[in-house]
Amino acid sequence: MQTRTISPFVKESTEGIKSAVPIFLGYFTTSVAFGLLAVSAGLTPFEAVFFSMSNLTGAAQFMAINLISAGAAAGEIIISVALLNLRYFIMSASLARKLGFKKAYRKMLTAFGVTDEVFSVASLKPGRVSGSFMLGLQGLSWLGWAAGTLAGVTAGSFLPRSLQDAMSGALFALFAALLVPEIKKSFRPVILAGAAAGLNTLLYYKFQISAGWSIVISMISVTAIGAAIFTDSEEEASMESVEAGNE
Amino acid sequence: MNKIMIIILACAAANYLLRVVPFFISGGDSIPPYLKRFLDYMPVVALGALIFPGIITSFPQNPTAGIAGVAAAAVAAWFFEGLILPVFASIGVTWFLLQYL
Repeated sequence: MQTRTISPFVKESTEGIKSAVPIFLGYFTTSVAFGLLAVSAGLTPFEAVFFSMSNLTGAAQFMAINLISAGAAAGEIIISVALLNLRYFIMSASLARKLGFKKAYRKMLTAFGVTDEVFSVASLKPGRVSGSFMLGLQGLSWLGWAAGTLAGVTAGSFLPRSLQDAMSGALFALFAALLVPEIKKSFRPVILAGAAAGLNTLLYYKFQISAGWSIVISMISVTAIGAAIFTDSEEEASMESVEAGNE
Repeated sequence: MNKIMIIILACAAANYLLRVVPFFISGGDSIPPYLKRFLDYMPVVALGALIFPGIITSFPQNPTAGIAGVAAAAVAAWFFEGLILPVFASIGVTWFLLQYL
């Protein structure tokens, strides 16, 4: 096959788009559910789609429409959403370090599309991650979230009720599918993720802390303790686990 | 402007601020080793806290269906690359259990 010179922008943004295909599908199916639920909670189709386009956030949007339909005050809803999404602050700090963008417009554009899944894909991608890659990755992810919401509000009764219910777990399937490849590399993620899951469950059920707060507390405390205990780098840990496996 | 639009716009502003501020306050290349590890471990820790107990609370009538769905996704992700198959496996298993359990 003849090799043609392709501009780095096209090459890298295409690579980003390819990496975003599974996210697109996950977001699309999840946001169809969001669109359906938003309309049933009393939002107009425009409001539902605009919500997805302007916020691009998963669990917090579901929480917001729950609170809207429960008649909660605006301030309460906004604070809950901000608390549930406090993790974006830490994710953005981590991504900013990994990406090392210098131009302000790149930072502002990339910041808009920081989500759990985009963050995981970009931060676990080896080597340098370019602005063009992020544009492709985040652009298609955003499109999936917006298009799925549009499909959800327009095709209202298209999907059977039972399938709509089953799809509310799709978000968690995405999280699990992102975690498993890390677990395959070394055992440490099992400890870290397991501790966070355990603490979060304990805080939520035993101490009745709201979902948003308990995620924030679990993330910060488990990471803080983990970073104090596991002082060697992740690469060394992976090497050790490989060597241990060969014994 | 109605209440819902105000909520949506305020949430959008809050979410964007949370995402954009760290891009402009992250100072220099010299990050203390502890902070570097903190940021390195964060993604994996976040995934654990995002899955539990959210998966249980999102299916209050039938938590088993949600947990089985995530387990199916994990098994699929163990044997196959990519995220598409795990998501569909999860939806399928959850749907089946919600229907027939």
